Amino acid sequence: MPDTAIPTIPTEPVTPALLAKLREVVGDKGLILDDAAKDPFVTDWRGSLKGHAAVVVRPGTTEEVAAVVRLCHEAGVAIVPQAGNTGLMGGATPYATHTGIVLSVQRMNRVLAVDPVGYSMTVEAGCVLQTLQETAAAHDRFFPLSLGAQGSCMIGGNLSTNAGGVQVLRYGNARNLVMGLEVVLPNGEIWNGLRALKKDNTGYDLKHLFMGAEGTLGIITKAVLKLWPAPKDVCTAWLAVRDPQAAVEILSEAHAASEDNVGSCELMSRAGTDMVLRHIPGTQDPLKAETDWFLLLEWSSSRPRADGAEGMSEKMEQFLADQMEAGRVLDATIAQNAAQARNMWTIRESVAPASRAEGPGLSYDMSVATSRIPEFVTKGIAAAKEILPSIRPYPLGHIGDGNLHFSFMAPVGMDRQTLHQYSPAITRAINDLIRDFSGSISAEHGIGSDKVGELEHYRSRIELDTMRSIKRALDPRNIMNPGKVLRV
Amino acid sequence: MSDAAFLDRLAAIVGARGLVSDPADQRGYVTDWRDNYLGTALAVVRPGSTEEVAAVVRACADAGVAIVPQGGNTGLVGGGMPHETGREIVLSLQRMNRVLEVDPLGYSMTVEAGCVLRTIQETAAAHDRLFPLSLAAEGSCTIGGNLSTNAGGVQVLHYGNARALVLGLEVVLPSGEIWNGLRALKKDNTGYDLRDLYVGAEGTLGIVTRAVLRLWPAPRDRAVAWIAVASPAAAVELLSDAHAASEDNVTSCELMGRQGIDLVLRHIPGAADPLAGRHDWYVLMEWSSSRAPRPGANGSGLAPAMEAHLGAAMETGLVLDAAIASSDGQAKALWALRENHSEAQKREGPSIKHDISVAVSRLPAFIERGLAAMHETLPGCRPVPFGHVGDGNLHFNCQSPEGWDKPRFMAHAERISGAIYDLVVDAGGSISAEHGIGRLKIDELAHYRSRTELDVMRAIKRALDPANRMNPGKVVRV
Repeated sequence: MPDTAIPTIPTEPVTPALLAKLREVVGDKGLILDDAAKDPFVTDWRGSLKGHAAVVVRPGTTEEVAAVVRLCHEAGVAIVPQAGNTGLMGGATPYATHTGIVLSVQRMNRVLAVDPVGYSMTVEAGCVLQTLQETAAAHDRFFPLSLGAQGSCMIGGNLSTNAGGVQVLRYGNARNLVMGLEVVLPNGEIWNGLRALKKDNTGYDLKHLFMGAEGTLGIITKAVLKLWPAPKDVCTAWLAVRDPQAAVEILSEAHAASEDNVGSCELMSRAGTDMVLRHIPGTQDPLKAETDWFLLLEWSSSRPRADGAEGMSEKMEQFLADQMEAGRVLDATIAQNAAQARNMWTIRESVAPASRAEGPGLSYDMSVATSRIPEFVTKGIAAAKEILPSIRPYPLGHIGDGNLHFSFMAPVGMDRQTLHQYSPAITRAINDLIRDFSGSISAEHGIGSDKVGELEHYRSRIELDTMRSIKRALDPRNIMNPGKVLRV
Repeated sequence: MSDAAFLDRLAAIVGARGLVSDPADQRGYVTDWRDNYLGTALAVVRPGSTEEVAAVVRACADAGVAIVPQGGNTGLVGGGMPHETGREIVLSLQRMNRVLEVDPLGYSMTVEAGCVLRTIQETAAAHDRLFPLSLAAEGSCTIGGNLSTNAGGVQVLHYGNARALVLGLEVVLPSGEIWNGLRALKKDNTGYDLRDLYVGAEGTLGIVTRAVLRLWPAPRDRAVAWIAVASPAAAVELLSDAHAASEDNVTSCELMGRQGIDLVLRHIPGAADPLAGRHDWYVLMEWSSSRAPRPGANGSGLAPAMEAHLGAAMETGLVLDAAIASSDGQAKALWALRENHSEAQKREGPSIKHDISVAVSRLPAFIERGLAAMHETLPGCRPVPFGHVGDGNLHFNCQSPEGWDKPRFMAHAERISGAIYDLVVDAGGSISAEHGIGRLKIDELAHYRSRTELDVMRAIKRALDPANRMNPGKVVRV
């Protein structure tokens, strides 16, 4: 349900005396007081949430972050940490009742070290994701985190939200791409966990606690990231498949057939594909198949094709022939060049913009066990149609992760307001189904402010109590992104 | 509550066969397998279900009795050992040993904490899947202990530590409540990551009772080589290039010094040197793939690719000599040379162990400094470094000078360890890469970690176990 009750948050104001002290720490260029200039920092990128902050503080170093946090801690002033401000759940957007600061790590955008032999890279939290991908590539290495907002999202935010994206299947979520962190704690102390270690069993794993905490336990200021060999042989294919069950089975067999080189496996529907073709100029239908379901399958290897030896495309061709024989694949095409592969990916990545052009809709970022995806798709569509029979489903997503963006377009001609009369009932039905499947109501996007109420509704009292105990223990004054993820 | 009344309450929960009260029968639960610790326990309790575990924990909370959770009791740092006070109970998960569900299509398996690791490996294999956790104690260690200590082993390079192999957990909390986090989800961003807090906490925050494990495709093609390398730096470089050459199929990369090989050849019957010449450093490298080599396909399969890789490395001087196993038997013999290092060290006489890690690229410099520090601290001592070079993790062990007995050698142990740990910390490394903290390293951890980090750990411990009844005196003192 849309959350109407705003959590109680500290409301100590930023006094002129505190402001002067903040200025001493970060200087004039580190402070934004002007309302117009503050606007982008207090508004989420979709423009659907707008909050308030007394001041936006932009420290340039970890020491400055620590000094700012210490001052706020002493004064009981609340802090909303923010990186690229591309989140979807309002986690980085202050509440309208927020009287404290927004702390932006944007100015901390240096790559501090690249270690190609050790396959690691040390960076500041404000580095833009795409810059990190490019830096890795310049060293013949690969940083696999990849998602729609990569041109503007920042690694500090990616780690704080444990971002997902299209390469999770092979490389894991953001938390799997990290060896060490530096975090400024709610009391202003600096935790130096910036260790470039693959193995370290010395006490509680604090790193994983800060990742995914959405800035409620501290502010990530630096990270040691893992790198991988750069892909040298990539094969992308677009498959018309019998149904979601066939898609899951295809993926299950693709692991071995590709020698564990499945990079991505994205389920698409005819309806979603058509929507992109309708609204996004330059996209072309890879297959004119009359079928409801498609799969974008990409295999990639870090070994360059050797003359005469089998490459990824030969392996894929043989695999697709086997799968057609088994009746799972109805038709398929392998990209013959980079432009064809690009077209396939553009279709997948353009679903979000196309859906905005199409009109009002609903989307649920859910996950269940991979093998239960087919059953969930059938039941989820039925549940939504029971409430609104003419709603148009177009589920898509990372089938290998058990994660779908379970999406619907409004019935043809229905406006946003009318759809919103139905959306609470549909949301409750879908989320109840997710619970019945022991799934997750937020696979990638997190909780932020948007799903605080839903999390309370669906998680056990024991689990919420444990989370609250941790929050209270590490942030007893509740100044660190208060009211996000949890109410304490 | 009197002890007798407390024991009666435990017996009412777990039944007669769930309670071990005879001191002779308790022995296996209160001594560790290296006989470094001899504890005593008020009782050894063996619940048969999660609900019984929860009831036992609640009974202990009511009686003010501390609990030492225990899996297969194969730990190396005393984390599963009761103290000598006799006021703690040992809670053994051994009876909870059922595989509850296997989902080959979803690549997952749900198990109880007391399942022996080898049973889990075999169950996965019976479903044409792989559970990659693999370590020397796999015939007796149990998965609950593996997860509670975030175990490592020889396949971490490819598959990650134990924490990377688990999707969901069920944990009995210090209050006796059951946290059901038994979710078979690869993605779940709904609040704090409790799972990764319990993994590696060594039973100080709760008792892992069930887990959903991740599975992988079963390997169908494998190449194993024994490689003499010019130096540890050459080993790191060889591995760095091997990732691409194998198409990311390097599953193990183990470095060994000549000293360790000599001990294995001396003490392990049937061990033979795979190469003719003597070299200072060796690498055991394994590549494996889930795709079977296709007969006839030109250049297909891992062995030819490995041969080409090693051939190129010989030309550049990284590799001095190499032998690729041509049968499973040969591969097994090569692995035995690596796996018998601990046994050979034990037969040779007294030694001390350091389970350390540094960044992979800093490993060569660390080895050089570490060897010098050992020789300087105790001239005549015999360093035996070996381990998981791809993880930056070495067992940087030290054998006593020839002919010394244990007391004479152990008198120097603290100085040697101190010198090594100082170097580890200087290199930004870890003083316990795999084995954990337990009782053995609690002071070392307090010495080497920042006050800030220890404070955060203590804050978490106090928040989740306010009465300090869950494995107290392990990992961190509150």
